[in-house]
Amino acid sequence: MGTQVKDVIIKPDATSTLLLDKHADYIAAYGSKKDDYEYTLSEYLRMSGIYWGLTVMDLMGQLHRMNRQEIIDFIKACQHECGGISASIGHDPHLLYTLSAVQILCLYDSVDALDVDKVVEYIKGLQQEDGSFAGDKWGEIDTRFSFCAVATLALLGKMDTINVDKAVEFVLSCMNFDGGFGCRPGSESHAGQIYCCSGFLSLTGQLHQVNADLLGWWLCERQLPSGGLNGRPEKLPDVCYSWWVLASLKIIGRIHWIDKAKLRSFILACQDEETGGFADRPGDMVDPFHTLFGVAGLSLLGDEQIKPVNPVLCMPEDVLQRINLQPDLLS
Amino acid sequence: MHGRVKVKSTAQQEEEKRKEREKKLKIYVAARDACFSKRKEGIWDDEALQVTQQLLSSNPDFATLWNYRREILMHLETVRDEEEVQKIYQAELSFLESCLKVNPKSYGSWHHRGWVSTRLPRPDWARELGLCDRCLSLDDRNFHCWDYRRMVVKMSGVPVDQELAFTDRLIGSNFSNYSSWHYRSTLLPLLHPESPEPHSPCREPRRASPPPSPQTHSHRVCEEQLLKEYELVQNAFFTDPNDQSAWFYYRWLLGRAEREEMISCVYVSRDEERVAVAFSRPVNAQSVGLLLVLDGQPQRVEWRSVHPRFKHSPVWICDLPPGTISDVTNEHNLTVHWTEKHTHRDCALYTGRSESWCRDSATDQELFRSELSVEKTSVLQSELQSCNQLQELEPLNKWCLLTIILLMRALDPLGYEKETLAHFQTLKEVDSMRSAYYSDLCSKFMIENTILKMEYAEVRVFSISDKNLTTLCHLDQLLLVTHINLSSNQLQRLPPQFAMLQCLEVLEADNNSIDNLEGLFHLPKLEEVLLKNNQISTLADLQPLASCPKLKRLDLRGNPVTQTANIESELTELLPSVTDLQL
Ligand SMILES: [Zn+2]
Repeated sequence: MGTQVKDVIIKPDATSTLLLDKHADYIAAYGSKKDDYEYTLSEYLRMSGIYWGLTVMDLMGQLHRMNRQEIIDFIKACQHECGGISASIGHDPHLLYTLSAVQILCLYDSVDALDVDKVVEYIKGLQQEDGSFAGDKWGEIDTRFSFCAVATLALLGKMDTINVDKAVEFVLSCMNFDGGFGCRPGSESHAGQIYCCSGFLSLTGQLHQVNADLLGWWLCERQLPSGGLNGRPEKLPDVCYSWWVLASLKIIGRIHWIDKAKLRSFILACQDEETGGFADRPGDMVDPFHTLFGVAGLSLLGDEQIKPVNPVLCMPEDVLQRINLQPDLLS
Repeated sequence: MHGRVKVKSTAQQEEEKRKEREKKLKIYVAARDACFSKRKEGIWDDEALQVTQQLLSSNPDFATLWNYRREILMHLETVRDEEEVQKIYQAELSFLESCLKVNPKSYGSWHHRGWVSTRLPRPDWARELGLCDRCLSLDDRNFHCWDYRRMVVKMSGVPVDQELAFTDRLIGSNFSNYSSWHYRSTLLPLLHPESPEPHSPCREPRRASPPPSPQTHSHRVCEEQLLKEYELVQNAFFTDPNDQSAWFYYRWLLGRAEREEMISCVYVSRDEERVAVAFSRPVNAQSVGLLLVLDGQPQRVEWRSVHPRFKHSPVWICDLPPGTISDVTNEHNLTVHWTEKHTHRDCALYTGRSESWCRDSATDQELFRSELSVEKTSVLQSELQSCNQLQELEPLNKWCLLTIILLMRALDPLGYEKETLAHFQTLKEVDSMRSAYYSDLCSKFMIENTILKMEYAEVRVFSISDKNLTTLCHLDQLLLVTHINLSSNQLQRLPPQFAMLQCLEVLEADNNSIDNLEGLFHLPKLEEVLLKNNQISTLADLQPLASCPKLKRLDLRGNPVTQTANIESELTELLPSVTDLQL
């Protein structure tokens, strides 16, 4: 009747050292594969792809290897008349890519490359009567978009332009029996969503509304015998979920509830020794997405070869200090 | 990006793959550019539908193409008659079904399906529910499909009890289905809400569609239904004791009710001319409309939380204008109004008294007990017996051990203290990855027990030494405590919340691992601080103590800081009020 615990086995010869140079080479080379089929297929999320690549490079102290001017020009070209920003040229604007673009420009200390007032207008225009946010004008509602909205506004220092109380009310209406959060009221808890909602509550100064002991229990139960964390009960471990769970635990002040050493071993085992980069699980194909969350996870676990990362915005702490943004964390 | 296994291939295979990809790339780019230029020209025709269909069937996450399709479909709505529109949208649903078969986890496809369903001239919700049934039978954890189902249920008014029966079926065929248990947790409070009067039977089930947001924060369920649920969950965990879904659900069922929102304590000190107020939950006193009335006169006071770190806190303090209550020959009557919640608490300061308070005690509030009424203790008792039986069969099952602890706490937290501690010990051994969680939870329970003991004894001394405490909590309950003994535990810090102990005079915390005193912040009555054998290593760590004006005695023996050069003179400068310093 029941199901066996789903997990992976870490082989004894799995990588156990951090291969930072290889990862930097992997990311530096990734953007030069512009004629690649797979690369072209992922155009619909390009702006986020660039954010993942640049952030992990910055965390490794290698941001200077990326083409700053080309990227800033690209972002400018992706801002639309309505103020929103699209994943790439020819694509439609969306909150997901608006956040990524603003994050990138913060790394480069160049937010003024955008028409900031218009970005703010765009975000404000997507807030609904019930406080929720649509991802774009087509009306998909999701707590991810609530996070994108407040994170972008916080980075721009314009939080007061939306109805924060209503936005908070909506996110809290997505809280579940297990203390977690889902996409919409009634949706099942999910580590990615919990990250967005706890990050949202941090940025809006409402973390006291979280049932931290209950949620922390659910989150620390995501750790499997391999050391990796899954995103929901009865699912496989994954480097990106490891980040979302770990960052959520950090935000609610319960990061010590998991076995840090075991998680570190799992993340290190997801490196590809040949190509550089991290995969979702040991032995799978690497990508920039999991490479960022692998490195960011190791940073939260205290690896001193990497810059400290902020758990709420997944950006280097020194960048947030520069713009004077320090989101709340529970102690 | 997920679950793609890396396969080794020869150079020749690589070359073949490269060529194949090059070919695919050309076709893809041509189709994409065709879509983009058609859209730019404002063309909304059948051909555009075809090209976008071709691209989306292999790449359903290409959101902009769904947007383009919606523009085309909305255009067609204006130029075709209803019958044709119905057909076009039905074709769209069939296309979507094929997309979802290939990629059942695409946000874009599911959102588009929802959009189409609401624009269909004659929607067929039964078909949509059928699609969800089929999809969930292939993957009963697909949260996209569950969410779509909830939308269909809402739009078409499927009765709540029918959906509950659906979860019965899924759970019946496979207990290990977290999504179904989750769905139950949202349906039960709708179908069997906790009745406003504590002992009345369950209300008749409502045969209406759920309200737009079925989530309530308490999620409470009426008692009768709760008892039936216990039975169902027990079946589940006796069948598969290692399946976590049922245990998570069970812990929710055992959860306690929300505390009433109220002012739980008002404390007034004549010496400091200060008022401290405790609330049943963290609030921002500056924005909730807090009003202090002294002898019938509303006072203009400034509320501050006990530590600048907190914008929301369960304890707030304010200073009265100098001279207002300092004369001991006067009697005063205080009322604190929480206007937002239409509640208040009075407190009288009698002649000759230096302080006074008014509050509900933790024992009155049954703060740390289950929400079940006392009459049902027998039910909890039998639940505990069942779990004990299971534990005999599966002595190392962590879920069962933890549940036994929770049941014991619901029944008699003090009576079962010894067993609880023993079970925690086993838990830390069988589930060592989470030992820090168990240590913190055990600390919380021991603190709750100590608060209960203190309340029963009606004293203001809180003593909890040698209990392996790793964390401090419930500090808002210790507002009136004058002596605290935390010696010989495993504490690493006195967190900012510690500043809620506004009446504290003596702190004993020898033999811990404390290296942070942030919480010893503006404690107006604190006189003695005993911190022998801790980890305080720098003068900066002691800085918070400088904010405690009455500090006289400080014991720092056995701390690294005592090795600092000129420590004694440095300390005299930092803490001039201290007269008895031990290094
Ligand atoms: Zn992943």
